[in-house]
Amino acid sequence: MADGKDSRTDRLLEHEYDGITEYDNPMPRWWLLTFAGTVIFSVVYVFNVGPVGNGKGRIADYEAEMAAAAALVPPTPTAVDPSQLLAMAKDEEAVEEGEEVFTTYCASCHGPDGGGLIGPNLTDNMWIHGGAPESVYKTIAEGVLAKGMPPWEKSLKPEQMTSVTAYVLSLAGSSPTNPKAPEGEPYTP
Amino acid sequence: MSSAVLPMEGAAASPRLESFSYDDEIVRKFLWATFIWGLVGMLVGLIVALQLANPIFNQTEWLSFGRLRPLHTNAVIFAFAGNAFFTGAYYSTQRLLKARMFSDALSKFHFWGWQAIIVSAALTLPLGFTQAKEYAELEWPIDIAIAVVWVAFGINFVGTMVKRRERHLYVALWFYVASIVTVAILHIFNNLSMPAGLFKSYSIYAGVQDAFMQWWYGHNAVAFFLTTPFLGLMYYFMPKAAEGPVFSYKLSILHFWSLVFLYIWAGPHHLHYTALPEWASTVGMLFSVMLWAPSWGGMINGLLTLRGAWHKVAEDPILKFFVLAVTAYGMSTFEGPLLSIKSVNALAHYTDWIIAHVHTGALGWNGFLTFGMVYWLLPRLFQTPIYSKRLMELHFWIATFGILLYIVAIYSAGVTQGLMWRAFDETGRLAYPDFVETVVRLLPMYWLRVAGGSLYIVGMLLFGWNILMTWRKRPAKYEVPVITAPALAKKYVPEPSHVGAPVPAGLWARFAAAGWHRTWERMPITFTVLTTIAVVVASLFEIIPTFLIRSNVPTIATVQPYTPLELAGRDLYIAEGCFNCHSQMVRPFRHETERFGEYSKPGESVYEHPFLWGSRRIGPDLARVGGKYPHLWHVRHFENPPSITARSIMPAYPHFLTKTLDFEQIQSRVDAMAMLGVPYGDAVNQAPAMARAQATEIAAEIERQGGPAGLGDKQIVAMVAYMQRLGMDLKRQPTTVGVAK
Ligand code: HEC
Ligand code: HEM
Repeated sequence: MADGKDSRTDRLLEHEYDGITEYDNPMPRWWLLTFAGTVIFSVVYVFNVGPVGNGKGRIADYEAEMAAAAALVPPTPTAVDPSQLLAMAKDEEAVEEGEEVFTTYCASCHGPDGGGLIGPNLTDNMWIHGGAPESVYKTIAEGVLAKGMPPWEKSLKPEQMTSVTAYVLSLAGSSPTNPKAPEGEPYTP
Repeated sequence: MSSAVLPMEGAAASPRLESFSYDDEIVRKFLWATFIWGLVGMLVGLIVALQLANPIFNQTEWLSFGRLRPLHTNAVIFAFAGNAFFTGAYYSTQRLLKARMFSDALSKFHFWGWQAIIVSAALTLPLGFTQAKEYAELEWPIDIAIAVVWVAFGINFVGTMVKRRERHLYVALWFYVASIVTVAILHIFNNLSMPAGLFKSYSIYAGVQDAFMQWWYGHNAVAFFLTTPFLGLMYYFMPKAAEGPVFSYKLSILHFWSLVFLYIWAGPHHLHYTALPEWASTVGMLFSVMLWAPSWGGMINGLLTLRGAWHKVAEDPILKFFVLAVTAYGMSTFEGPLLSIKSVNALAHYTDWIIAHVHTGALGWNGFLTFGMVYWLLPRLFQTPIYSKRLMELHFWIATFGILLYIVAIYSAGVTQGLMWRAFDETGRLAYPDFVETVVRLLPMYWLRVAGGSLYIVGMLLFGWNILMTWRKRPAKYEVPVITAPALAKKYVPEPSHVGAPVPAGLWARFAAAGWHRTWERMPITFTVLTTIAVVVASLFEIIPTFLIRSNVPTIATVQPYTPLELAGRDLYIAEGCFNCHSQMVRPFRHETERFGEYSKPGESVYEHPFLWGSRRIGPDLARVGGKYPHLWHVRHFENPPSITARSIMPAYPHFLTKTLDFEQIQSRVDAMAMLGVPYGDAVNQAPAMARAQATEIAAEIERQGGPAGLGDKQIVAMVAYMQRLGMDLKRQPTTVGVAK
């Protein structure tokens, strides 16, 4: 009917406006069906039929997503081996990897060379939260939110965590350009 | 033109012939304004595009991205598209009604008033005067001016309908009526606000309700400012240029009423997965889906009007502009319903995908329809042949290529960023935890957009050249043809419905032949009232439950008003337009809560006049930024973002560290908030003192952290106070959740 040449096609309506005329053509059938289809879809959606509808709602969906993720994610190994960290601090490749992580995520607060800026100087032998390899790792992993040190465990990968710790350990005794005054207690290995 | 039969001849019982002329002077004025503001608006668009590609283009506090983006949107929507609509409406309305505009004085008032409003927008937005609501940024005195000018336009329009010499209203006029009425309603109700000074006010709505009202307005600004007026223009200029009849009158009727009724519900699709109640979001989505066919009704009627005239399209650049415009309209109105589907919106929202969608509509539909219309008008208004058809053709191809480059780049930017945000690696961590990484990835696409936008602007320059050169060939004095037409007879004399059909005898035959709608078309006031009812009723169905259902917004006991200093910081956040880049609305998705923190609750926004949830995430969400960084971090970050995040594209705000905070002014801000019902307690009497005390504390802490001394009376302390407050309410103990008193 829409495209056919039946008698109803292209009949001119009598009226005319500033020279503009109009046909009395029927509405294209596919168009009417589309319209009806969207209305039917909407009604079905409101009644939440099968996959069409809100399901259990956005909060329930979110909780399911979190539960599924909790089941999937293997718990991060919390026990790190201090001697392995010390060994890594001497391994050029590991330190280089760690430096890259440090530049991206840590330099903004600790300075590009670890000399301290907003956060404390990491090159001296004074530590607020302990200078033993496992303590440094723990500070980085869990952060000190109240003092403005973010926790990194969740956003860095395990190998990034260890390599950045190794990098921080490797800074000991280096001489940054603009060192911040020491804070905390001395640590000697 | 095709039909020579004038229905009035012989129809009226006593045809009293009247002589009159059309006011084309006003049309010429609006035409110039369209071009000039279009060029300005697009150049500002180019600047903001450059600012995103490289932050170096943010120069001075007045011309930074946050202040210029609203200037771009307001200029292209209200100045370019607005003046284009007025150009076409003033030209076509007079001819469709066979009457000069009701009042030349009102026409002039409309023109000069509107241009003055645009100038005031161009001055106040860079100064940081803003209501922080998208497309409703202008402050309250300008809002009042807009309402007055718009009502003047409405009176002029309705007056012309009343003194018309054409019995029935043509479909173009239905669309004009709907646009004029609805824009007035939307504008007034979204902008209700409590002044706190000459250029400062707070929305009377807060949080969820403010968000709802804003997007009820925002979406319908698109619908009734950029869509229905242009459909009206299409219905006049397209058959004129194609010199053929409109495809289907029946289709016009159905798609007009369904658009008017359905559009108004669709606003909440801008707020999927936010703290807006889920039922509202669902309603917004379903009505948007149902809008697909009614929108396409307009496209079909436009494109099929060209049946049998396709050979002309090849030769006539004007028709080419129209064909592309209507095609772009079809694309955006297919994509719109698609974007309204929640799961699609989950990916697209906050990204550049939305920007690509908008620009298909704006550059393609609004832009090209305007170009085609103006080119058609030029020889008629300046009474001389157009300067160059080849330039028109060139304009068409350059601008088309510009749009393609723009949208392809920005679609891919949007999808890329959306996918990066939600990507997890095999260990269950965010694949791109560093937000800026998802931004840097887009920069090549941003440069392509600069190229595409520049091409479109080159097209604009060709357009302007053609207008100017045609104008220069105008006659020394314009001819003003005298038109004669019979006045409307008091009583309606039935006419045949179709060409060649007999005059229907009797009421029923008349009804059956011409239909109920034909009757309404004879009654402009009734028609206007019916349109208003359709819009108002549909609005109330959503607005009433949003305001009345208390359980929509469960209260959270620990949510408290901002301290005076935090409020001052928030006002700076608004003035700088930070909300143009930062959302404050974490959606309940794992990738968002992992990245930003707990998802946002409706109860957190109860004192948010206006809401600042944002609609874009050019930078990261800030809803949970409080306590995340030390004070000094913020100080350094505002001073120079790349010193904290090397590849950041955020503009620098060094003036926060040097400009003094106006502590005394805070009192009037607190008072306005208190008048809106925010429980401010003691602060009502001693806001400046409280603010000073908090400022001193913050400044001391900054110094203790190794930062500069002497910041205690600078704007930066207010900014730090505000940043550190965001998201802290939820962490305060105890959290008891219940339904509002
Ligand atoms: C937002 C700023 C900020 C960022 C980014 C940041 N830190 Fe810190 N960091 C601090 C602050 C502030 C402290 C001091 C905490 C305190 O005083 O308890 C600190 C403390 C530390 C400490 C303990 C120092 C001590 O003396 O015990 C280590 C180790 C450390 N950060 C490592 C890192 C590493 C590695 C990164 C990057 C993955 C990083 N930080 C990123 C601000 C930051
Ligand atoms: C059926 C018609 C349409 C529907 C249902 C629709 C739907 C949408 C949706 C879902 C969004 C995204 C909201 C978000 O996630 O932020 C959006 C944004 C937008 N659309 Fe459309 N659209 C339609 C037609 C158009 C047309 C024709 C234009 C231009 C003339 C347009 C201009 C805009 C604008 C300006 C925005 C940006 C809003 C913002 O700043 O976030 N839309 N639209």
